[in-house]
Amino acid sequence: MKITFIRITFFVLLFSIWQMIVKLGHIPSYILPAPFSIFESFYYGFVTGNYTIAIISSLVRVLIGYFMALGIGIIIGILLARYYILDVTFGRTILALQSIPSVAWVPLALLWFGITDSAVIFIIILEAVLPVTLSTKNAMKNIPQNLIRAAQTLGSRGLHLYQNVIIKAMVPELITGLRLSWAFAWRALIAGELFISGAGIGQTLELGRSLADMSQVIAMITTIGLIGFLTENLFFGSIEKRVRLIWGLT
Amino acid sequence: MTNPKIEFKDVNKIFSGNTKNELILQDINFQIYTNEFVCILGASGSGKSTILGLIAGFIKATSGNVLFNSKDITRPDSSRTLVFQDYALFPWLNILDNVAFGLTTKKHKQNNVREKALEYLTLVGLGNYKNHSVNQLSGGMKQRVAIARALAVDPEVLLLDEPFGALDQQTREAMQTELSRLMTKTKKTVLFVTHSVDEALKLADRILVIGGKPGKILLDYKIDIQKPRDPSNNQLTSVRNILLDKLFQPELFMGADI
Repeated sequence: MKITFIRITFFVLLFSIWQMIVKLGHIPSYILPAPFSIFESFYYGFVTGNYTIAIISSLVRVLIGYFMALGIGIIIGILLARYYILDVTFGRTILALQSIPSVAWVPLALLWFGITDSAVIFIIILEAVLPVTLSTKNAMKNIPQNLIRAAQTLGSRGLHLYQNVIIKAMVPELITGLRLSWAFAWRALIAGELFISGAGIGQTLELGRSLADMSQVIAMITTIGLIGFLTENLFFGSIEKRVRLIWGLT
Repeated sequence: MTNPKIEFKDVNKIFSGNTKNELILQDINFQIYTNEFVCILGASGSGKSTILGLIAGFIKATSGNVLFNSKDITRPDSSRTLVFQDYALFPWLNILDNVAFGLTTKKHKQNNVREKALEYLTLVGLGNYKNHSVNQLSGGMKQRVAIARALAVDPEVLLLDEPFGALDQQTREAMQTELSRLMTKTKKTVLFVTHSVDEALKLADRILVIGGKPGKILLDYKIDIQKPRDPSNNQLTSVRNILLDKLFQPELFMGADI
């Protein structure tokens, strides 16, 4: 209760000071708009449906890329865990991919796929496939041996063992990979969208720049941060917390 | 005489490491008969847990035969269930579902799985805890769940690998009494691995002492004293002396490199 009050006061103060600086300093709105005009931009964006469409298109794009990345990553992860020779060759190579920021893939993606959705989805997959691959590999390698033996001694084997023990034992580590992959996918989405046409958060952001509509630019940046925060922390964060609690890992 | 339930014939076990191969067990021969409660007593690293691993079917003998009902043991099976020192309960299942786990496999599949599991959970005195999660329980309770889980599939042989090793002294003694009571009730062949002489003296019909490097059977001793036993019993004291004698002998001549 007290914390909520302090938080509200903080934001009210922040916006008031911001508004005052803009008004008293006569700062032009294409450099720094007042908070009120950003709220206005949000309002009209949602009333006309422009922002709504942008957000939905972006979410569809990122979800397609994300789930494709999960499929690919889990398969590669299992292969890396099972075949040592793959791990020391291909496995090491994909580790190097991790140090390449998503935006570095944009020129390549644009040449291969044009300024289309496919280019963005390609970049998302490249970025998001890594964390889930690594966590799948680690999860498989770190299954407690005694849990498998306990299951075997009770007569579990084959499919029953996989479904009821191996996959379940992998869950906590996998969840971490899923969350990280999502965070990477979200960042890659925005980077890619800045360069392509059609509806989307990144495109709306870029459009704001070309129209010198700084309110729209800041509105989109806020949207990116807000959706990212809600999905990464609230959604995945709470799942991860619950799983760790149930698995007794806290 | 009837056929032995478990038989070791000239068993050797070598663990191959990265740098060298290590002989863990050498020329192990013994028979265990139906309804015997046998304690395998030895210091840490003597290979006593390896014996259980061979019977459970997790590992294979390097040479020799490990027989169960006169047949070679090839893989783990619910006819020989193992109870682990660290319980190895499935944390994602509640207590009842842990006990029911073995009953969900193809071999045991039946309709009244949960009732049967509850029956075994009640047997170890935890019927009221069926919906609790694993990490809500104390160590002693976890091990009771693990024992119920191992008994639920109605094994012919129950293997226990230092099951009370992680428990405090008081809980440990309560659990020993509990196990003794359970075993007279359920009538199983039991192999119990421990490094505690007193634990072996309290529970065992027969004690196999393992020791040395590589591990060998140093003593095979039958205790014909009615259970429950009084630890200060004269006869028991003399058995204890024999056991201690055997247990500490190998350490003395190990340094002499015999």
